[in-house]
Amino acid sequence: MTASRREIITSSSSPPLRTRFALRFLKNLMKIKKSTPLGHSSSLPSSSSLEIRRRTQLIKLAAYSSMARAVGSRRVWSRALILKLSAGKRIGHRSSISLSARSSLRCLGMKRKRSKTVTKRFAAKKRQLEGPCPGVVELQRLVPGGESMDLCGLLEETAHFVQCLETQVRVMRSIADQLP
Amino acid sequence: MSSRRSRSRQSASSGISDDQIIELVSRLQQLLPELRHRRSDKVSASKVLQETCNYIRSLHREVDDLSERLSELLATSDTAQAAIIRNLLM
Repeated sequence: MTASRREIITSSSSPPLRTRFALRFLKNLMKIKKSTPLGHSSSLPSSSSLEIRRRTQLIKLAAYSSMARAVGSRRVWSRALILKLSAGKRIGHRSSISLSARSSLRCLGMKRKRSKTVTKRFAAKKRQLEGPCPGVVELQRLVPGGESMDLCGLLEETAHFVQCLETQVRVMRSIADQLP
Repeated sequence: MSSRRSRSRQSASSGISDDQIIELVSRLQQLLPELRHRRSDKVSASKVLQETCNYIRSLHREVDDLSERLSELLATSDTAQAAIIRNLLM
């Protein structure tokens, strides 16, 4: 095992994306596991389901932030995502965690029902400015930092973003399969 | 090279060449599981964009499900097992 680790360190290129992501994500998972109290889960079933839901949000945030940091500042979307997630975390220190988590996840295009009218108005305005297909506006909303990109850059960032999302899903699935 | 530049300057709004965009769209098409095996001249660009949006949304949903699964597993599993996996990667 140590020989392969030495290989990873001494090779000219850094370890592959999935390794960098997996390491960060596992560290975050351990942190989440240690920080959440597990003693109450057996006594009250309602509190444990709330804890599970809260932990799900934390894990989701950890996954996206680990992926964004593993990519680093090489991509526009990773930079934008890191900024948005750290801004959400700063809000989280004052108010509850769930509020900051919701605001951070909203940046990824996972909107809640309340903000739909606002985004529709903004999207219509953008359509008037841009002109071409409405699919571009939709894609700009989904890819972090997409609003400031031209079509060419947006397509490139989207390709890389999709590849990283697939890696994220693959690593998370393999961890979930190995844990029990 | 200069002819391509002059052609792009004549194109509608932006200064980007159409060939570049076509290449990027076909590259994106190769990543999508639905459209990967269809010929690129048979799939329109707006269809590729639409499928990309759907695919990204479905990947987000998968991340949600996996996070929920991991959350439940963390509640029940041993701390030692997670530490073992971490040591395997280290």
